[in-house]
Amino acid sequence: MGAHLARRYITETETEPDPAKPFGFDPEFGFNERKEREMVASQAQMNLAQVPVLQRDYCAHHLIKLMKCKRDNWPNFLACKHERHDWDYCEHQDYVMRMKEYERERRLQMRKKRVEEAQAA
Amino acid sequence: MAAVGFRNWARALSRGKQPGFSALLSQVRAASGPSKGMLPGPYPKTPEERAAAAKKYNMRAEDYEPIPDHGEGYGDYPQLPDRSQHERDPWYSWDHPDLRRNWGEPIHWDFDMFIRNRVDTSPSPVDWHTMCKHLFGFIGFMMLMFYLGEKFPSYQPVAPKQYPYSSLHLERGGDPEKQPEERERTNVAGSKAKSAAEERHAEGERP
Repeated sequence: MGAHLARRYITETETEPDPAKPFGFDPEFGFNERKEREMVASQAQMNLAQVPVLQRDYCAHHLIKLMKCKRDNWPNFLACKHERHDWDYCEHQDYVMRMKEYERERRLQMRKKRVEEAQAA
Repeated sequence: MAAVGFRNWARALSRGKQPGFSALLSQVRAASGPSKGMLPGPYPKTPEERAAAAKKYNMRAEDYEPIPDHGEGYGDYPQLPDRSQHERDPWYSWDHPDLRRNWGEPIHWDFDMFIRNRVDTSPSPVDWHTMCKHLFGFIGFMMLMFYLGEKFPSYQPVAPKQYPYSSLHLERGGDPEKQPEERERTNVAGSKAKSAAEERHAEGERP
């Protein structure tokens, strides 16, 4: 917890990735096959459901299902556990992928540094 | 009070030397105020005038000191120390406990300012320079820390969140004609296995 901050600011200032900057490596590099993320809910559907802009991510179809369930079951606020869990699980997967992407970027940076040092030597 | 004033007015009108309205303006004063001898007088110049003024204000002659005359018109009113009522003993049994004053005590010129609801001249627990050091030291330290927080922000070790449709170009109010081309969003390795797992999970609890 916080080791990345120590790496970024003190020990490995060149290789630790900065999340504010875009990650420069090719997304397919190092993978045999990688397909594009698919977006299930269309823009029209998200507009009709009035999903807030910041929640129009790759889990928006689960969110729309959850909103519909809540709307149908009001005032029973305990009703939509399954839909809420589906949405939460999708968001969790998304966050885990973000963590993996960060680590991938960090390892590629370190590899790049090793390659450059090997070439310089 | 009105009846007394009316009688005075009638008497003055019948007996006054000047005719008409001016007769009403002279010497018509209610008996409820201080008598002539109790009011402040001109600045005392001789020691006898000083002694008389001290007696009038119920002070000892050696304590009495009139306000220095620079033309403001204080007359012979005494110069009392500029200390508010907060500084007086709270445990002594004053005649007027709220005002912390005894009957007959000479009243400061700014007494209404020095009551306990208003200006407080009591000394602060810490002296001025220590107070300044503490305050500006704290503010300076906080500014330094906020500056360092801007220079070296704290964040979670995650990549930025990915949004569909060219990171919501239209939803954020972008021009429909110009589409910014960013790199495509890709799934983590093993996408096929992952979507199968997702399906299994989605159907896991429902029949």
